[in-house]
Amino acid sequence: MQAQSGITDSPSKRFWEIVATNIGDPNIYKGAFAVMVAVAVYIFANNNEIRMGTYWLLGLGAGFVLQRTRLCFASGFRDIFLLGHGRNLKGILVGLMVATIGFSFLMARQVPNTALGTYPATAHTMPLGWHTVFGATLFGFGMVLAGGCVTGSIYRMGEGYIGSWVSFAGILLGLFVASFTWNWWYEFTIKDSPRVWLPHTFGHGGALFLTLAALVILYFLVIWWETRRGGIAPAQPAQLLPDTTFSNKVQNIFRQVFVNGWHVLLGGGIFGVVNILTFVSTRPLGVTGELSRWSLSLGNALGLTPGELLGTSSMAGCVLDTGDGTFLTFLLFLVVGIFYGSFIGALFAGEFKIRIPKQKSRLVQSGIGGILMGYGAGTAVGCTIGAFFSSIPSLSFTGWAWAFFALIGAWLGTQVIQRLP
Amino acid sequence: MSKQLDVRGEICPYPMMRTVQALKKMGKNENQLVVITDHAPALDTIPTQAIRLGFDVKIEEVKSSEWQVILTRK
Repeated sequence: MQAQSGITDSPSKRFWEIVATNIGDPNIYKGAFAVMVAVAVYIFANNNEIRMGTYWLLGLGAGFVLQRTRLCFASGFRDIFLLGHGRNLKGILVGLMVATIGFSFLMARQVPNTALGTYPATAHTMPLGWHTVFGATLFGFGMVLAGGCVTGSIYRMGEGYIGSWVSFAGILLGLFVASFTWNWWYEFTIKDSPRVWLPHTFGHGGALFLTLAALVILYFLVIWWETRRGGIAPAQPAQLLPDTTFSNKVQNIFRQVFVNGWHVLLGGGIFGVVNILTFVSTRPLGVTGELSRWSLSLGNALGLTPGELLGTSSMAGCVLDTGDGTFLTFLLFLVVGIFYGSFIGALFAGEFKIRIPKQKSRLVQSGIGGILMGYGAGTAVGCTIGAFFSSIPSLSFTGWAWAFFALIGAWLGTQVIQRLP
Repeated sequence: MSKQLDVRGEICPYPMMRTVQALKKMGKNENQLVVITDHAPALDTIPTQAIRLGFDVKIEEVKSSEWQVILTRK
């Protein structure tokens, strides 16, 4: 009987042996050291401003969860075409459902009466126009070329992928270029573009119901599509020790949490919760606005500045930000936190490794993809996070339009990468 | 006969695409392909395509963050 083998473990005697077995794993030392650094940064950030500390923790949480679940937006948009496989897309849809429920409650408090025509101040309700069509398509294309979206590149940087560092540099450059054409786009389309917020038409309850219904229908469509394309492989069985002794059980729990990848639906759901918490603190998740601040501040230091960006001060979401010369902002802690949270996850799992593609043309591909993503995000006001993962839960129609055109861009991207060497 | 395919350093979707190319090129007398990868997401994408092409899948961890995906013709 299995239960008997557990009895032979004398818990008090065995306890220290178990600790020793686990501490013998150098990954635990590396991970624990990285966590101590994170705690020190938290204390520093929190002393600066409580919100900085909070956003540091939220960033760490987001990066850790993304690393553990390998949730990938680029794959979500791409693999439905390339592979007929919706693993990531299903995770994203679950995350959107969770975030939508949380956001709608928060927004109902911000705007109790939808008949007045006002907008929730911090939700991601962006203008919908030709810039969305162009920017989202370009973003979807660039993301497939680069092999990761903006946030995907940030958390892969924490796992040691050199290609993602190149993409990241490309994103900063693309955002910089976008700032010089912003005023043209603003005059051409953005200033007259409507911010379509669904509760204005359907009320809070109606908009929540419609959004959730659409997400659920999409979820089933993905399953139908996967089945049509030949089904998907069952998730690989986790590599665990036989569950017989207390020591093995402890080690298995450690492996389940820190080494084996988490289920993607769980990951999507937790990522949705992180987004709600971020909104509770100040505003929903978004990274490109902050990245544009880095890029434009860098340009400014070199004497290259786009001048005044029309209409940006009154716009919500990940709009281009020229910055005001301050270095530390709460959003900086969020972005760096995503990177560092993923780094911690990768250390514990033993997955941190400097990875350089053998084929050097891949690095060029990553850089070009990054530039296109940066330009697309700068123009369409946001990336897969700000203009999609935070926008659909904001009950904004713009998020759906962004997703549609990013999907078209991703399809175009799959046509191109299949022809590349 | 067994063939090896090393896709270390490659990220999605290339490990999967390289594997599919290799599987389609395999001759009648070859029935096994061993793919070596260090990209964890490929552990989901490679099995899906391999099963559709009529292969059995076995994954072995070689060391931290490096896996052998053993594909055997059914």
